[in-house]
Amino acid sequence: MKVLAVEDSREIAVSIRDFLSREGYICELAYGFEEAREKLALFTYDCILLDIMLPDGNGLELLKFIKKEQIQSSVLILSAKDALDDKISGLEGGADDYITKPFHLPELHARLRAIYRRNRLAGSNMVSFNEITLNTDTLEATVNDIVLDITRKEFELLLYLVVNKNRVLSRQSIAAHLWGDYTDNLANFDFVYQHIKNLRKKISAANGADYIATVYGLGYKFNATSA
Amino acid sequence: MKLVDKFSLWFIGVMIFITPITAYICYYNLEKNINKAEITHLKELNVRMADRLSRGEAVNAIAPKGTNLEVVKLATALPQNRVQVQKTDNLEEDSKGMLSLLTVHSYFDIKGQPYRISSYNYIPSAKQIYSVILDTVFWKLLLIIFCVAITIRLVSQRILHSLRTTIKIIQGFNVKNRVQFSSSGTREFKELNSFLQKMTDKAVDEYCAIKEFSENASHELQTPLAVLRNKVELLSETAIEEEQALLLGDMQNAIEKLSKINRSLTLLAKLENNEYTVSEQIKFCKIAKDVLAAYEDRIEMKNISVRTEIDKGILLKIHPVMADMLMNNLLGNAIRHNVQDGSIELTLTQKQLTVKNTGLPPVMPTEELFQRFKKSNQCSESVGLGLSIVKQICEVSGFSVSYQYRNQQHILQVDFQPRTREEVKLNRQDNRTPALA
Repeated sequence: MKVLAVEDSREIAVSIRDFLSREGYICELAYGFEEAREKLALFTYDCILLDIMLPDGNGLELLKFIKKEQIQSSVLILSAKDALDDKISGLEGGADDYITKPFHLPELHARLRAIYRRNRLAGSNMVSFNEITLNTDTLEATVNDIVLDITRKEFELLLYLVVNKNRVLSRQSIAAHLWGDYTDNLANFDFVYQHIKNLRKKISAANGADYIATVYGLGYKFNATSA
Repeated sequence: MKLVDKFSLWFIGVMIFITPITAYICYYNLEKNINKAEITHLKELNVRMADRLSRGEAVNAIAPKGTNLEVVKLATALPQNRVQVQKTDNLEEDSKGMLSLLTVHSYFDIKGQPYRISSYNYIPSAKQIYSVILDTVFWKLLLIIFCVAITIRLVSQRILHSLRTTIKIIQGFNVKNRVQFSSSGTREFKELNSFLQKMTDKAVDEYCAIKEFSENASHELQTPLAVLRNKVELLSETAIEEEQALLLGDMQNAIEKLSKINRSLTLLAKLENNEYTVSEQIKFCKIAKDVLAAYEDRIEMKNISVRTEIDKGILLKIHPVMADMLMNNLLGNAIRHNVQDGSIELTLTQKQLTVKNTGLPPVMPTEELFQRFKKSNQCSESVGLGLSIVKQICEVSGFSVSYQYRNQQHILQVDFQPRTREEVKLNRQDNRTPALA
C-alpha cells in the first residue's frame, strides 16, 4: 500500500512512516500544503493521511483539491481538534474517516486497513490469518471453519489484533479501539484483560493456536510467528 | 418592586411624615393670629369706651344691654394686671363646639373711680380650626398622592427609557457578540452605560482570548502528546527487557491520563464559553440507550444488574454531543464506582434523569465531588473531572443536578425543568412544617 502522510509535525510524520513501513507499506511524507499538492500531482497513492492544520494552508482545502482533481485516493483525516465542526466538514468533504490526535499508531493502522479494504480491495470483507478468518460485514469469525460464538466487542478485538499482528498493543490502545469515547471514567485494563481471556478461550476451544500473548508490563501481542 | 414604585413610596412617606408637622404649624399660627387680632380689636374697643366714660357719658349709654360690652364699677382697687384675657370654650349656646368666647377685661381708673370694662366676641374655636385644617390636609394629601402616582409613571417612562434599553441589551448579552449601548442625557445613566460598554467589550475580548487560548492549548498540547505516545509505541516494539517494559507501561499510563485531562479541560472551557448552544430538541431517550449499549460488555463483565425505565419520545433542548457526554459520564461513573455484582437503576422521564448505583459510601460530602479534581479516592486512576463536566453541561443546558447517598446507593439526579427558587423555597417550608409537628 502506498500512503502519503500530510503532517506538519515532523516527529509524528516520521513515527507514522516508521510504523507503516514495518507493515511493508510505502509511506511518503509531506510537511505542508504545497508540498502535498505537488506530490499529489505527480504520484498516486492508495491512501492519504491528512492533517487539518498545516503551516501554509488548511487540510480541508487540500481535501477539496483532491476531490476536484478526482484523485482516487482514500483520505483519513488526522486532527488535533476534536471539534465537531471539523469532523463533519471533513467527512462531508469526502474524507473516509477521521481520527483525533493523540492517536495510537495501531489504531491509525487499523483504520487505514479498514478504508483500504473498503475502497481498494473492491469492498472485500474477509480478513484471514492462518486458520482464522474474519468477515467484517457479518462480524463472523471462524477458526478451522468453525464459527466462533463471540460478541461484537470480541470480534472487534480479534480484528484489531490480527490487523496489527506482531505488534505490541498497549492496553490503552485496545481500550480506545473498543470503546472510543466511552473509556474516560473507567479502569479499562480489567475489561481489556477479560475480553482477551475470553477470546483466547474461545479460539482454543475451536482448536486454534494460541497466538495472543501477554507482553509483560505493556499489553498484548498477536504472535504470527508462534506455533 | 419597580424603581418608580420605590420613588413614589418614599415620596409619599415623606409627605405623610411632613404633613402633620405642617398641619400643626398651620394650626398654631392661625389660632395665634386670630386671637391676637381679636384681642387687639377688643382692647382698642375697651380703650375707646374708657375715653367716653372719662368724657362723662353714662355707663348705660356706652354699654346698653345686648351689646358685647360690659362696664362695671369696682369696689376694690385696680388689679396689678390692667388687661386680662379670658377664653371660654364649650359654650352653652354652641352645642357643636364651633365657637369660643374671647373676653378682654380692661381696668381703668376714671376720675378716681376704678372701672372694669369688658368686651367679648365669638371666634372660631381651636377645635373648629383644627378640624378645618385636618380636612384640608387630608384632601391635599390625597390629591398629591394621586398626582404623584400618575405623573411619576408618565415621567419615568421618559426618564428611565435609557435604563430600560440598557437592561434589555444586557439581558441579551452573550460574550460572543459585541453590543452597543445608547447614549443618555442623564448623568448616572451615561456613567452606567459607559461602564457597561467597557465591561462588555472587555468580556468579549477576554472571551476571544480565552477561546483562542483553549484552542491553541488543545492543539499545541495534543501534538507533543501524540509524538510522545507514538514514540513510546514504537519503542515498545523494539527489543526491550522486562524492566524497561514496565517503565514504558507507566509512561503510557501517564500519557493516557495527560491526554484525558487535556481533553476534559478543553471541553470544560468550551462548555463555559457556551460553544454548544442549540435551538433544536433531540431525542434524549435514544442517546441514553446508545450510551447504555456502549457500556453493555463492561456492565456484563462486572456482573452488574441494570434496571432501566426509559420513557419514549423524550425531547430535550441540548446539543447531541453534550447529551452523549452527560450520559457517558453518569453511566461511566455508575459502573466505575460500582462493586462486583452491584446494581444500576436508570430512570429517565421527561422531567428528570436518575442514575442510582450501589458502591462504597462516599468519603466526603457528595456535593463537593462536583468540584474539579475532587475524587472520592484521591489516588484512583480517574481524572476527577467527570462530575465537573456533568455539572457544567447541566448549567449550560438549564438543568439542575444533585448527588446524594441514600440507602447504600449513590443517586445522581438531573432535573430537566428545575423549579424556580421561589418554588423550591415554598416546598422547603412545606417540608419543614410536618417535621416540626
